[in-house]
Amino acid sequence: MNTISGPRAVAGALAAIFWKGIKHYTRYPGNFLLYLVIPFLFTSLIFGMGQFVGGGNAALNFAARTGTQNVLVYEVLGSAVWMVSWVVVEDVGVALRDEQMKGTLEQNFLAPVSRVTLLIGLSLTDIVITAGIFFIVVGVTVAVTLPAAFASLLEAYLALLVGLIPLFGIGFLFAGFVVRFKEPYVFTQIVNLLFATLTGTYYPVTLLPYWVQLLSRTLPQTYVIDDMRKIVLANQTLVSLYGSVFILLALAVAYPTLGYAIFKHIEKRAGVTGEFSKY
Amino acid sequence: MNPVEVRALSKTFVTKEGPLFRKSPKTLVAVDDISFNVPKGEIFGLLGPNGAGKTTTIKMLCTLITPTSGDALVGGFSVAKDQQKVRENLGVMLTGERTLYWKLTGRENLEYFAALYHLDPSFAKKRIEELLALMGLKDRENTLVENYSTGMRIRLSFTKALLNDAPVLLFDEPTASLDPQSSRLIRDTIHSLKQEGHAILLTTHNMEEADLLSDRVAIIDHGKIVALDSPTQLKEKVKSSDVIEIEARNISDQTAKTLESFSEVSKVAISSIDGSDDKGLLRVHVQKGKEVLPKILEFLVRKEVTITKVAFIEPTLEDVFISQTGRSLRD
Repeated sequence: MNTISGPRAVAGALAAIFWKGIKHYTRYPGNFLLYLVIPFLFTSLIFGMGQFVGGGNAALNFAARTGTQNVLVYEVLGSAVWMVSWVVVEDVGVALRDEQMKGTLEQNFLAPVSRVTLLIGLSLTDIVITAGIFFIVVGVTVAVTLPAAFASLLEAYLALLVGLIPLFGIGFLFAGFVVRFKEPYVFTQIVNLLFATLTGTYYPVTLLPYWVQLLSRTLPQTYVIDDMRKIVLANQTLVSLYGSVFILLALAVAYPTLGYAIFKHIEKRAGVTGEFSKY
Repeated sequence: MNPVEVRALSKTFVTKEGPLFRKSPKTLVAVDDISFNVPKGEIFGLLGPNGAGKTTTIKMLCTLITPTSGDALVGGFSVAKDQQKVRENLGVMLTGERTLYWKLTGRENLEYFAALYHLDPSFAKKRIEELLALMGLKDRENTLVENYSTGMRIRLSFTKALLNDAPVLLFDEPTASLDPQSSRLIRDTIHSLKQEGHAILLTTHNMEEADLLSDRVAIIDHGKIVALDSPTQLKEKVKSSDVIEIEARNISDQTAKTLESFSEVSKVAISSIDGSDDKGLLRVHVQKGKEVLPKILEFLVRKEVTITKVAFIEPTLEDVFISQTGRSLRD
């Protein structure tokens, strides 16, 4: 037989898609630099606003409302999770459109590889890239400003890894919208900016109006950011945060299931309208 | 059962056109109730002008577009119901050079697609070596595709279609924008694939290519098959008329229409030469051509047409198309 099947075939396809993504990243290296500096740039912005506009009591008010005086770690954790969320939602959401613009989407869809393998494969590269960048950004920040908490980072990273799964589900959802409506960045940028507002990236979610908090509680980033801050800044453990871990696991089932179902529906429709070959 | 069986296949697209908030649906019948079979070891050509429905047909056969009605079986599997199985039985080359990853090398592209087709890694390695050598790409296998010439990209795209050694091969305009040498290489390879027993369906708007390559040709226009037979048989059908080709300047559609009203003239088709507005080519299907020629030339001169060349020619597939549709393939 010239072909393979079962898990070996799926693993082979996933590895090929992953390495193709890595090769593209290394041949367009600008994104690495961008992802490395984004969390620091946004943190500087927030820090500057607090320092120069917040007045003399800014630091005290910050500590009273967040429970920590370490502004840098608090904000870098929020920014870094937001950056990971941005990259995952945008890259997964835009991956198919990106292939469409290159002219290679139909070539991928012609192969007998399943759509879910294709979507997960396209996402795998981003998991590794963004997780790697996140580890560097957060690791360096904590090592320099809060060395005592460095050992707790492993648990903080675990919280992020659990939170990545529902984020990919949101990415699948956007992958469908993008195939249908094109204009990928309209969707992903609006949503990503909304995420920064709703998920406690720069301030505690508890300061938001109650009805907004309800919305925040449907988003995985809210739990990831909160858990990571509690682990790194308040000496809590992931086990003690079992309630939010459980919710993250539930979201890890719900979002990918919903996202993939909507993607499949839109994909089926695209076959009828001939959408795949449209630019 | 034939490797490809197309049964009353149709595709209608509904688009919305008009200004914002006042868009109205517009229906376009791209493929209209076509049926044909492609047996093992046959090259079947779909010939027609741009927009005739050739690519839509190919895309329905390879599961990229869902048929509106009818069905097609590829390797015995329905394109509407067993899409995964259909894809396993197909090797497809779609038109255009942007069907590859330009930031990957030629070899990396083939390795990537070999994995998506679930090829056994040791078979894939051997197959890629063979195909790169066959298509003259071995010495540039590690060059990024962005640094390939157009001809090399199309050859690589063609190579990709052969990777999984599928029983059914679909080629959409396989030699479009290729130099004569590369075109010949691809045509020779298609012939060898036929000898190996592959069922091959190719689309082209190049009548010489359809004539050279195909065992049978379906001429398609406005989504319908207007003629289907071997190239020889199709040409035989128009041999009862003489075909006069007149190259000239300043020919209008009106002049061609008036010429068609002559009792001896059965069809007249006009097409431009090299996209020129001024220079045109008339193909006139006529009974007793030698007797009628002076009358035709006199008429054209009277209409202030500048004639640069006149020839009696052997009918080609283009004349079959003209006899069926009244238009030139080059329109």
